[in-house]
Amino acid sequence: MSQRLDVSEFLTGYLAEAEEHLAIARSCLTTIHAAIQRSELSPKSVRELFRSIHTLKGLSSMVGAEPIVQLTHEMETLLRAATKAGGDLPAGAIDIVVASLGAIEERISQVAKREPLTAAPKALLDALGELQFEGRPPSQKGTLDLDDETLAKLSAGEREELLQGLGGGRRAVRVEFVPSQKLSSEGFNITKVRSELTKLGDLVKVLPRSIPGAAGNPAQVAFVLLLVTSADDDAIAAACATTPEEVRAIASSIVPLPAASSVAMEATNDASGDDLERSPRQGDVLRVEVKRLDEALDGLSSLVVSRWRIERAVWKLDEEHANTRELKNLLLENGRQLRDLRAAIMRARMVPVSELLERTPLLVRGLARSSNKLVRLTIEAGTSELDKSVVDRLFPVIVHLLRNAVDHALETPEGRKAAGKPEEGNIRVTCRTQSATQLALVISDDGRGVDAARVAARAKSEMPRTDAELLALITRSGLSTLDKATHTSGRGLGMDIVKRVVEAELGGELTMQTERGKGTTFTLLVPLSVTIFDVFSFSAGGNTYVVPVSTVEDLIEVSSRSIVLAPNPSADGNAVRLLRHRGQTLPLYRVDALLGLKSSPAPTPKAIIVRRDTQSFAFEVDHMLGQKEVVVRPLRDPLVRVRGISGSTDLGDGEPTLVLDLPSLLYRPTLQGLAS
Amino acid sequence: MNALHVVFKVGEAEYVLAASDVLQMETFSRATEVPGAASYVAGLVQLRGQVIPVVDLRARFGLPPIARTLDARVLVVRDGDRVVGLLADSAREVINLDTETFQKPPGAIGTQSAGFVSAVAQAGTRLVMQIDFQKVIGQDGIPKERKDGAET
Amino acid sequence: MGYAWPPHEAPLTEVLVVDDSKVMREMIVACLRAEVGLTFEHAASGLEAIERLSLKPFSLVVLDLNMPDIGGIEVVEFVRSQDTLRDLPIIIVTTRGDEGSRSKALLAGASRFMTKPFTPEGLLAEVRSLLGQGHARPQ
Repeated sequence: MSQRLDVSEFLTGYLAEAEEHLAIARSCLTTIHAAIQRSELSPKSVRELFRSIHTLKGLSSMVGAEPIVQLTHEMETLLRAATKAGGDLPAGAIDIVVASLGAIEERISQVAKREPLTAAPKALLDALGELQFEGRPPSQKGTLDLDDETLAKLSAGEREELLQGLGGGRRAVRVEFVPSQKLSSEGFNITKVRSELTKLGDLVKVLPRSIPGAAGNPAQVAFVLLLVTSADDDAIAAACATTPEEVRAIASSIVPLPAASSVAMEATNDASGDDLERSPRQGDVLRVEVKRLDEALDGLSSLVVSRWRIERAVWKLDEEHANTRELKNLLLENGRQLRDLRAAIMRARMVPVSELLERTPLLVRGLARSSNKLVRLTIEAGTSELDKSVVDRLFPVIVHLLRNAVDHALETPEGRKAAGKPEEGNIRVTCRTQSATQLALVISDDGRGVDAARVAARAKSEMPRTDAELLALITRSGLSTLDKATHTSGRGLGMDIVKRVVEAELGGELTMQTERGKGTTFTLLVPLSVTIFDVFSFSAGGNTYVVPVSTVEDLIEVSSRSIVLAPNPSADGNAVRLLRHRGQTLPLYRVDALLGLKSSPAPTPKAIIVRRDTQSFAFEVDHMLGQKEVVVRPLRDPLVRVRGISGSTDLGDGEPTLVLDLPSLLYRPTLQGLAS
Repeated sequence: MNALHVVFKVGEAEYVLAASDVLQMETFSRATEVPGAASYVAGLVQLRGQVIPVVDLRARFGLPPIARTLDARVLVVRDGDRVVGLLADSAREVINLDTETFQKPPGAIGTQSAGFVSAVAQAGTRLVMQIDFQKVIGQDGIPKERKDGAET
Repeated sequence: MGYAWPPHEAPLTEVLVVDDSKVMREMIVACLRAEVGLTFEHAASGLEAIERLSLKPFSLVVLDLNMPDIGGIEVVEFVRSQDTLRDLPIIIVTTRGDEGSRSKALLAGASRFMTKPFTPEGLLAEVRSLLGQGHARPQ
């Protein structure tokens, strides 16, 4: 274990977080600027800005980026004063803060490009230091109906926020969340409550408080949450696992919403104009949070669902012998438009590979330095693009392969000289689009090559005959990498994980060519974007499952009118349920029963119609929950390889959700779903 | 030879696994049930992006289910390509054991986990049992029927 | 695998690392990796920290000062007001320039106060000295 913290390991993380904080700071500034134009305060944005700058300072100090530390330190002093003044930042300060952010960004990109950092501009530091202003005392528009202890913990800015923008259905409320082991095991924790409430309104403050435990038990913790919202008590209570009676209004004097929304719009437009977002190198490129694209996809999903509704309505008209030709043509066109829109959104998720590789020179330099090697890194990124989800998974793999190349594959300068090679080792990363759907990423070095005999000895295995066999040995789990572990590759991914990410997670292919004394080449074939599946999520038997949208023919309501009971030829004698759908009669199965779960009929069950070969089946579920893009992983372990379950996915809660192959469930040993 | 072992409890009994066999230990809150899997499969959990199956040792050892507490731990073990979690009631300790003192389990161990015990050892005043985790998670997915006096 | 277990017999010591920056949490854990027998849980906010602490015992908390909703000092104040957590060792880790908070944090009941950038040895030394004081073991 090294004495000093090996910063190179954290540089990627640093750059990612630093950029994130810059983005937050920019968006806060936009809001603050817009508020100033309306002569309003924006305490929340000032606070958020302060926090981002502060975090950036701490992180930068850990990686030794001194000029950034200086700049952020001065900004912090200014913002702290502004926070104390209830969020009042003078208009003159904005320009200087914007300029400082620009200076910080420049230096962050120097960190990324492994250049020495330019000193912080003295003029800017002085300007920040000289910025002194008189904060206005926060206006008192009303009083808050809260106990003194809670009131004492609110800053002037927070009180202001609770009293601002009320009226028009918006009110300030207080509610409590009491965490418990039970709630926590159901995924109900303060972080979730917080994020749920944030969706319902502006969460101004969260405070812990002690509440007496039940007879003889130790005190418990409760969280007091104060928010400004237009949501109703039921929704607020549900988000906090409490009852609507516990939701209490706290603002006693209602202040009407300023009648200036059109002005606000103008101001916002103004703020996003030249003087704020004068980003020197971005041209007409817009930085968008992935979350926003996901929102667009969500919106698209609801369009798809309403299209189905229309389609069903057209079917109904058909059955009534109405003339639907024009409607059907419109539907067809509408379908095409939806597909195009989807493709456009998916294109917006594509990231240039050059961006993915942008950070590798810094990494390689750090590795070379700590292993005392001379390395020349050549990158040919080309113009290929990859989906963001693929990029996120691929990056650690590339890092690992580069790490291996520097640490193990390349010889020391002396070693290379002795072997008749130039002292400087070469690592080359090349990338090209292989086909319409695949990308080839090649990482090669001119180092010593993989010692097959040694790997075989390590793995206690026979000598591999081909490169493919050798790769299989290297990627066998448990076998640590190619050579003795040095401090740079003792941690992180193993080659087994590299293989798993490329093959199991991304559905790609990993190959290797190696020659003793000449070098090693890894070739990664990865899909450009197909790792994403569109799935429907639904609940059955109290659990959540998903099915790929591509397998679903239709979603319909199950009503008693559409069900026909038929005698069951099998022994149990229960009637078989048949569902009428588009003039066909389909067997209707309960998914919960097929899975062997307890059935409790839902009030408004839905059926998922799935076609397999020429036959359609109807599967009854309790509720449809939504549609989502997810990455599906196969389930490979024999313990969980079960017919009808094709994989698992994460719907965003950090827990696995099963992906069902509905027709295959019918071929499970005990068929129970048919009976009512 | 001394080697570190993780001590964990299932029911009243204490078991050990060589620390070198344990990749990591995690707290356990819940697993996604996999309908159709063996009854002792607690389900799937996601650990640092990896989805792994978890074997409920209580069920595997034939003990009745209990309400899980915050003490519950998942011991993540690896067997070749497979990474599997073992769900224990608790795991609190790491101890040094002299592997020379490990003994074959006596013919009739008074616990229902007998078939999975590969050795017993004395740790101070306590008796701990080493489990054969490969047998617990089953090789090639088909859990082998346990034979009496199975090889250690 | 770089998997370190205690070289001597010892119960595992659970450490709660609280910081809204993921990299910072990882750096803190990296600094403490050398101390065998520690296991780490992460909390990304002061609220999450209080919740975790109310639900299970920890031996040590490493806590950032500046976080959303409630900051480190408020966390310390709250923790110290709880009977069961009165003696829990807490190390405050904060950014240079926050020295003014030092006395506030120590007054609120923090056990130690460290300033970023810190070195692994510095942090380790504090952790070792706190855990050596005997009030560190979960029951």
